[in-house]
Amino acid sequence: MIEEIQKLAKEYPSSKSAVLPALRYAQEQHGGWLPREAFEEVGEALDLTPAYCMSVASFYDMFQLERTGEHTVEVCTNVCCGLLGAQAVLEAFERELGVHAGETTADGAITLRAVECLGGCSTPTIVAVDHRYRQSVTPADVPAIVEQLRG
Amino acid sequence: MSASELVRVTIDGKEVHIAKGTGLVESALHAGIEIPVFCYEPRLGAPIGACRMCLVEIEGMPKLQAACTLTAQDGMVVKTARTSAQAAEGQNATLEFILVNHPLDCPVCDKGGECPLQDLTFRYGPGKTRMNFEKTTFEKPIPISPTISLDRERCILCYRCTRFSESVSEDGQLVAKNRGAMSVISTFEDEPYTGAFTGNVTELCPVGALLPTQYRFEARPWEIQSVPTVCGMCAVGCNTWVDLREGKAKRVRSRNHFEIDEGWLCDKGRFAFTHLRAPDRIVDPIQRVRRRGFEPVSWDAAIDAAEEMLRAARERVVVALSGSETVEQAYALAKLVRVGLDSHEAVLPEEVSGALDAYRAPLSSIGDAQVIGVLGDVPLEESAPIVDLWVRKARRNGARIVDSEDNLKGADVLIWSGPGGRGGVRVAQLAEQLGVSAAFYVPATPNGRGIADAWSAASDAEPGDEHSIGVLIVSGDEAAGNPNVRGLAERAEHVIVSSMFHGLAAGWADLVLPGTSYLERDGTYVNLEGRLQRLRRTATPPCPDELEWISRLAARFDIELAPYPSSVFAEVSKRCYGGLSFGEVGERAALRTYDAAPAHVDPPALPEPKTAEGGLHLVCYKPLFSGPAVERVTELQFQRPRAEVELSAVDAERHGVKTGDEVTLTGGGASVTLRAQVNRKLRAGVARVPDEFAGDVRGAVELSKAEVTA
Amino acid sequence: MADTVVEVAEQPALVLRGYDGTPLVDLDTYRSVGGYAQLERARAMSPQEVTQQIIDSNLRGRGGAFFPTGRKASFIPTPDKVSKPIYITVNADESEPGTFKDREIMLKVPHRLLEGCLIAAHAIQSKHVFIYIRGEYTEEYEVLSKALAEARKAKLLGNVKVTIHRGAGAYICGEETALLESLEGKRGQPRSKPPFPAIQGLYASPTLINNVESITNMPIVLEVGPQEYAQIGAPPDSTGTRLFCLSGNVARPGVYEAPHGITTRHLIYDIGGGIPNGRELKAVMIGGSSFPVMTPNELDTKLDANSLGQHGLFIGSGVVCAIDDRTCIVQFALRVAQFYMHESCGKCTPCRVGTRWLVQILRAVEDGTASENDLEVLLDVCDRIIGKCLCVLGDSAAMPVASCVTKFRDEFRAHLAHGGCPFGADSSLANLFAPTDQHAHTTVPQELSVERV
Ligand SMILES: Cc1cc2nc3c(=O)[nH]c(=O)nc-3n(C[C@H](O)[C@H](O)[C@H](O)COP(=O)(O)O)c2cc1C
Ligand code: SF4
Ligand code: FES
Repeated sequence: MIEEIQKLAKEYPSSKSAVLPALRYAQEQHGGWLPREAFEEVGEALDLTPAYCMSVASFYDMFQLERTGEHTVEVCTNVCCGLLGAQAVLEAFERELGVHAGETTADGAITLRAVECLGGCSTPTIVAVDHRYRQSVTPADVPAIVEQLRG
Repeated sequence: MSASELVRVTIDGKEVHIAKGTGLVESALHAGIEIPVFCYEPRLGAPIGACRMCLVEIEGMPKLQAACTLTAQDGMVVKTARTSAQAAEGQNATLEFILVNHPLDCPVCDKGGECPLQDLTFRYGPGKTRMNFEKTTFEKPIPISPTISLDRERCILCYRCTRFSESVSEDGQLVAKNRGAMSVISTFEDEPYTGAFTGNVTELCPVGALLPTQYRFEARPWEIQSVPTVCGMCAVGCNTWVDLREGKAKRVRSRNHFEIDEGWLCDKGRFAFTHLRAPDRIVDPIQRVRRRGFEPVSWDAAIDAAEEMLRAARERVVVALSGSETVEQAYALAKLVRVGLDSHEAVLPEEVSGALDAYRAPLSSIGDAQVIGVLGDVPLEESAPIVDLWVRKARRNGARIVDSEDNLKGADVLIWSGPGGRGGVRVAQLAEQLGVSAAFYVPATPNGRGIADAWSAASDAEPGDEHSIGVLIVSGDEAAGNPNVRGLAERAEHVIVSSMFHGLAAGWADLVLPGTSYLERDGTYVNLEGRLQRLRRTATPPCPDELEWISRLAARFDIELAPYPSSVFAEVSKRCYGGLSFGEVGERAALRTYDAAPAHVDPPALPEPKTAEGGLHLVCYKPLFSGPAVERVTELQFQRPRAEVELSAVDAERHGVKTGDEVTLTGGGASVTLRAQVNRKLRAGVARVPDEFAGDVRGAVELSKAEVTA
Repeated sequence: MADTVVEVAEQPALVLRGYDGTPLVDLDTYRSVGGYAQLERARAMSPQEVTQQIIDSNLRGRGGAFFPTGRKASFIPTPDKVSKPIYITVNADESEPGTFKDREIMLKVPHRLLEGCLIAAHAIQSKHVFIYIRGEYTEEYEVLSKALAEARKAKLLGNVKVTIHRGAGAYICGEETALLESLEGKRGQPRSKPPFPAIQGLYASPTLINNVESITNMPIVLEVGPQEYAQIGAPPDSTGTRLFCLSGNVARPGVYEAPHGITTRHLIYDIGGGIPNGRELKAVMIGGSSFPVMTPNELDTKLDANSLGQHGLFIGSGVVCAIDDRTCIVQFALRVAQFYMHESCGKCTPCRVGTRWLVQILRAVEDGTASENDLEVLLDVCDRIIGKCLCVLGDSAAMPVASCVTKFRDEFRAHLAHGGCPFGADSSLANLFAPTDQHAHTTVPQELSVERV
């Protein structure tokens, strides 16, 4: 881990710049979120305090400071998607998964999240499944998507 | 500030001529105009323009500007809230926004009455709030350490505390968490904010969000009496305010002396004052009575007993000093035994040399240095924390810090911290070779220099040759705690100890007289710069102070010795401080030089400890959070040093030791087992251990991995 | 799951030049439409010449502020005047609601973006280009990285280093100084200006910051020639084309390249096929969600900075989002405010506190618990935010909200009178859930552990 992170740092004139890539990498290594150790590791690798790394991570939506599911489903509920049924799509996922936005299924498999505009406004609703965009998602598509993740 | 060109700035119609680049806030003050601020604090580095309290109108700029982020430029025309409706509107807006989420719990807030937010609201604020929705709420108050509590609802997010942590103390422990309206101040996970300087954030916070736990519900500002004095915990002598309520010290705050402390104060100086109220405090004289141990005795009885012992011991009295006595106390003792009892032998707390007087400079000069040599084996943060802050500041300004005698070339400031410095002789020699302008030696005791002055001022007679010890006078707790002194005590027929706390001398003293703390004494100290500073009595001691009984005792031997610091000082001053009067020492003492001061007898060089090739030399030191006072403050226990030995990477490598391993050090016929801590910054050949964990191990040591007993 | 429509709606094709539906992702196809020829030409010119051509074209920023790109480049000191390195950072953080064009540039013509970067690097003699790409963009990152690898392999970079840096989910990092902070490994909080990035940007060195589309225009400026370019669109100020981001209640949403100056009506009705389901247009979110909304009576306004400016509107990042008459404008304003509350960096007071307050008032209006006076407070809070923040995110929240109140006051009043939303559940934005209510990582430390006692 430490070596990997220090490799990332080589790309930058100042190793501190590697904090974001380092946290991203650490999050992947730790199963989608950043436990205490992750901050200690990144801190050690880049000669920063764990507190500093936590402070940076907590600023960005893509870093999770609490345990998340193995998969994430992120539904854009900003205006453009909202105008064409994003709320229905979100609710479809809530029903299908039996959780509210921001929660993780009891089995720890899937985390559902509402997110701000993902930049796919002409093909609403945009749903990022494990960080890959699905375009023009309708409530009808929801069971299949969940099926796929569960399967 | 370097002499730079003057520019003309117009503020609310007033013209000021001021150095180009001066902050607008300062420029306005210069014109007698206040621009209110919250986040702005020049000591924290570049302004951030976050709180928006300082909005002003600048001619030629479309939007309102944050005055704190701008500097004086020629021809600039500034309108503050006093003359610009737009600026006033901006200021009101900010204040309203700040108050939107601020709980109005001022009546139960310790900051109430000395709160910038309260004051600015009073002066500029809206009469009523238009916010009729739920305020942001957080769990509160939460301790961020045993000494500091955080109220996140009161926090206005000016980021002063986090900026201090990031760019002054550079500990990176206190940070902002989350984003936007959910932003909060936080430490890492559940870890306490630890370090030498954490308490400063309680003074930086412009609201009641970060408060000292010791002070919680202790006093209201208008009940307080603030006494200006100096800290007696280390040789820096930071200037402080001690806040009293009904004669009791409730809080210690910094009293900015820009040459010494720049308004910073370490946690020892700030939080250790509660040792005054330690349960084991001695308040009456106690005397050993055959078989029955110690018994309280009246002062008269105590003085009689002391006189008796001393008469019998004429010429054979030895004094062991702590280094925390005031100049006056030390001089009084010296006069008593040297003039009164013709005994000239003292165990001074440490070597002191006048060699450095030629390189005298204010600590602030470190801040402007280009290359700084930091020598000796004890980290500055432990021996003289504020000096460490100056070095950090210099580094931030681009200075290079060298820690080895081999590459001191180009150094303009030298600092020595740790053993082997021979009271400054060593660093003075280096200073001469390199021709540096300023050099500092960090004594191990707060007033080592002043005490050496006082001792030499009392008499010119030389100590006689070896003789038996009739009476050993042990002055103060540090001396009482010193193993060497205890060694002497065994040789002495009688031992008189002056000590604040029970137990320290219980085993071996015949008579124990109650001692006082630096917070209870009036007098003077000499700090590591050689600066004479005024100590004031803050809290009333539970017993007469040392000067009082010494002068009573002196009278028994027909020595004239007034119990008043001012007159005692006058005597010392004639010899050492150019006749300066007590009054002239001053509230914010200047760094003076005194001609015709007697040079102390430089003690002979100690042989540099020899260590075999690859061998280790033990360096014992007093960590910042150690000593009789700190040991008695519960809130500071989490800061106490651990039972560890620090090793350089090289030596750890050589002995195959990793951080966390148990290792045994053997030397001087004794041995201890400690946890190893590898420290990359430590030089090879050194094993560093806090005094209190070194036991009797001394000098060259053998290191072996301890057997792991199952 | 339909793909985004990306078309040249009106000639001339500039940014999408040579793109006919098949992405120009690999080097050869890009070369086949004249790719990297302009880089060669540029390198044959002096840096000043290249900058001059950009100035002459009057190309302006496509990121939102519409600042003249050539002039910005000319602010960068030349290497002989500074001891520090000179940097370029390309702003690919695209997070303005309704904006999805930079993404398509990276997916369809990634090499043109890279060619632009290298031309810009030559123009200001920079040796290191950073592309700060929005963290959520995975495919875009992969396509761009592949293109970069190809270009590197083909020795096109010369002595220039190009680093693709991925964000991590924070709209504010699109703000140039926040972006720099983020790129330095800090919380993405804006810096107060001055100093400006051109003088003290990344690592306190001179830094040129441009939007993806702006940079991608550079090869084109050289190709068609600055004078020619300066004639396209709505000279003198709004030259060249735009990748308009058409979305919302329109029949054919998508990214359409067209010259500055076509009318909003033309874009929505002719190019976009109008409002479906026999609905009426109610408002247009134009420029992005950061700006005042457009009302139908302003539909014939030309899509160029000056024409829009006359109505107090902005071209922003080319967003045109049609909102039909099913939509409750209070819900719209609320959702916009919630976005900015969520994205406020928390550094400066008016934005951090004000955006939350806006949300609370708008929520009360929507729920029918607000009073006429609350509407006044609402406008006042907007006023007290605008022009008083450290960066313009605060204004970006206040402007659209204020415009909704002033332009649709009757509808706001109806909420008060009706004791709630007159649309009920029929509004397309009814009870739309916002991430702010999700309270991402807000845990406060439990009991402090002081193990060292
Ligand atoms: C809150 C905020 C968000 C912004 N987001 C973006 C963005 O996502 N992409 C972008 O190119 N510019 C964005 N900008 C504008 C940038 O600050 C900057 O003006 C722009 O990147 C300059 O490039 P240009 O001159 O080529 O437009 C944003 C500005 C603000 C205040
Ligand atoms: S306006 Fe908002 S985003 Fe910009 S600095 Fe202030 S708090 Fe941060
Ligand atoms: S004092 Fe200027 S913004 Fe805070």
